[in-house]
Amino acid sequence: MVKSQKAVTNGLHTYRRPPLGRTLMQNKTLLLMCLPAIVFFFVFSYMPMPGAYIAFTNFQYNKGIWNSPFIGLQNFKFLFTSGQLGLLLRNTILYNLAFIVLGNVLQLLFAILLNEVQSKGFKKTTQSLMFLPYFISDVLVSLLVYNLLNYDYGFISNLVRNLGGEMPIVYQMPQAWPFIIVAVNLWKSTGYGTVVYFAAITSMDSSMMEAAQIDGANGFQRIRYITLPTLKPTVVILFLFAIGGILKGNFGLFYNLVGNNSILFNTTDIIETYVYRSMMNSFNFSQSSAVGLFQSVVGFFIVLGANAFVKKLDSDYALF
Amino acid sequence: MKKLVALLTALMMLVCALPVLSTAEEAPAVDTSEHVTITYLVTGDIPTDRTEEVLAKINEILNEKVNATLEIRWIEWTNWTTNYNLALATQSGDIDLIGTATDWLDAWPNTQRGAFLPLTEEMLQTYAPKTWESVPAEHWDLCKYNGEIYLIPEDNYAQWTNHGFMYRGDWAREAGLENGVHSWEDLGVYFQYIKDNKEGVWPWDADGNGSSYSPQMAGGWQASHTSNIVIEGFPVSLFYGNSKEDPYTLSRYYLEGDELVNFAKTMKSWADAGYWRTDVLNYTGAQDSLMKEGTSAARQHHTETWTGFRTDMEEAQPGSDLGFFFFGEETDNLVSLNITHGAMAVAYTSEHPDRALMVYDLLRNDPEIYRLMMYGIEGDMYTIDENGYMVRPEGFDSTTDGVTLNFWWGRNDDLGLRDADRDWEAIDELYARYDEIATTYPYGQIVFDLTNIQVYLDNISNVYNTYMPRIVFGLMDDPEAYVAEFRTQLQNAGIETVMEEIQNQLDAVYKQ
Repeated sequence: MVKSQKAVTNGLHTYRRPPLGRTLMQNKTLLLMCLPAIVFFFVFSYMPMPGAYIAFTNFQYNKGIWNSPFIGLQNFKFLFTSGQLGLLLRNTILYNLAFIVLGNVLQLLFAILLNEVQSKGFKKTTQSLMFLPYFISDVLVSLLVYNLLNYDYGFISNLVRNLGGEMPIVYQMPQAWPFIIVAVNLWKSTGYGTVVYFAAITSMDSSMMEAAQIDGANGFQRIRYITLPTLKPTVVILFLFAIGGILKGNFGLFYNLVGNNSILFNTTDIIETYVYRSMMNSFNFSQSSAVGLFQSVVGFFIVLGANAFVKKLDSDYALF
Repeated sequence: MKKLVALLTALMMLVCALPVLSTAEEAPAVDTSEHVTITYLVTGDIPTDRTEEVLAKINEILNEKVNATLEIRWIEWTNWTTNYNLALATQSGDIDLIGTATDWLDAWPNTQRGAFLPLTEEMLQTYAPKTWESVPAEHWDLCKYNGEIYLIPEDNYAQWTNHGFMYRGDWAREAGLENGVHSWEDLGVYFQYIKDNKEGVWPWDADGNGSSYSPQMAGGWQASHTSNIVIEGFPVSLFYGNSKEDPYTLSRYYLEGDELVNFAKTMKSWADAGYWRTDVLNYTGAQDSLMKEGTSAARQHHTETWTGFRTDMEEAQPGSDLGFFFFGEETDNLVSLNITHGAMAVAYTSEHPDRALMVYDLLRNDPEIYRLMMYGIEGDMYTIDENGYMVRPEGFDSTTDGVTLNFWWGRNDDLGLRDADRDWEAIDELYARYDEIATTYPYGQIVFDLTNIQVYLDNISNVYNTYMPRIVFGLMDDPEAYVAEFRTQLQNAGIETVMEEIQNQLDAVYKQ
């Protein structure tokens, strides 16, 4: 925020930026409200950061991270010599893009629809029901999916058979799973994301809406020309946040839905599940940290790139 | 001044040492004046039975004898491998005793990573004298890494954890198998009979979602059709010695030959016949309940599980006469359990390793504490009948009335009691057969150093865990082609390099 202390000419008057101390004092309430978040990220994200050094060592418990022998990039080797990296990157990135793009579109849509609903009771109920799947653990979700789709006794299988149809063996159809996984993820996350957008909509200046109404704008026009443009910064910021994690897969979701059913791996194997399969019996902190570090570093550069791109389009919306 | 202080200190030490010297022959000079808490790390779910109450009793005795209190830190079964290894890696004096195992709890890799304290002979003699005496020198040798002892073995406890299939004796007889199931062929006959005659029952309603069936089933077929012996200590179950006559040459079973193909073909025919669910790889049904409810006709696990489950099944399905077909039965290929299948180690950061050892010595060798720990309070939670068997009181429910300390790291047959509930006639018959044919585990002396082959092993693990579940449950169109592809992938992942390294390490220890 405080970019520099140099003088800024503002019309005829010379305006001098106030010193940092005064800015801090003036905004002390706001800063205080930020404090929990700042402390949280400092403690859980910045303080452990030097520990990433573990990825370059052959970690020995009795020597600690700093005294363990340094072995350079040895730990990164396994991911690159696997011959699977291409497939893993493709799957991880495509799934995440689908989650981010489709997720945001749905969340926006539902937030706007909810906002148009007049009945308060209906609004609240819908919101709660949509939020609910977010709290269901992946283990239960996988059981639900299994009980719907399994060939021998599944709900859908029985339905299809009773209607005289032929049920395919879904758990042996790799091509079906991108749709199933994306659908499950959207079912789980839409309610949560909708609340974020809904909050942004409710904080909009209502006088704009009233003015538009008086000017004779209909519902669609109001959404198209007022709601959506107002939400643009929120969309961009959420997108930039999300894209940093584009190489990080949702292990719980994928592992529980697919498990060790390797018939499906071609379309469902992501970096996390691959790492789990390779290392589940050889417990190695250094190697798993190496994979995590790789994902984070790539994610970091993607955020930088995306931010630069956004800045070029419209510098107001960039993160930094 | 400095000299004076030194002189005084020296004098004081001498004075203090005098009485110790004079009584040294009767009792070891162990100072237990400070009260300490010894924390014991163990895998298992936090018990909901009377463990707390029993532990308080154990602690009364421990307080009196060694001025120490025992505390338990549970690693619950949810995510246990991760949490167990994390607890070892992040230890900071918060744990003292660690239950471990060379085959299922990574005792050697953890030793190599420095999780455990080396135990000197002197320490063991002083603080765990009874254990030191009862474990023979050749057993201590199997607990050494780089010449130092790291583990205390569970070497005085008879148990069998070799895998196989539990099946219903009543149904096997109906199927025409008068003597029960004793081979994979018999098992096929049994499964087919169930499929044809028992409606609503799966021959084996397997929960293929877990990864454990891969090594068990593939290794089981291998035991029954070859003389190969598994070598423990690798993250993936692909390394076997040729036979008990030639144990130190690696077998190429997984790389060439027809037996693996035969296994894949048989499993495919079983899958096609519908012996398990179509979506078996994503099914998570609880094996014990399914069998008790009578909707599954078999269960794949080990002998020890069978000894207890036979009683449970008799209760749930009277007349079921649960039998056990053990892998290797056809070829008499059976290896007795390694003595470090259960072992106790002392944490590297333990602040009181001396007292930890003293506590362990009592847990393992003190009759009163041992029985409290294993069975509970005598007269209340169990009684001993005239034949010396342990009898639980009427209406005893182990989930609420028992004691659970999961002490699998030093059980002691000298102090143990046989559960009157179990069918000892059937169990002893099987045990006698085992004793007759079993070979001693031939690789106890070697601790492999995987540093240089770890990268290959990771990629090989991935190949194994990708291909093996489908072979085990017969989920492929062409078994021959699929096994060939599996073998090519193993080659690509560098299995030859790994085998060469393992062979070299074997040669270095055994071929001199």
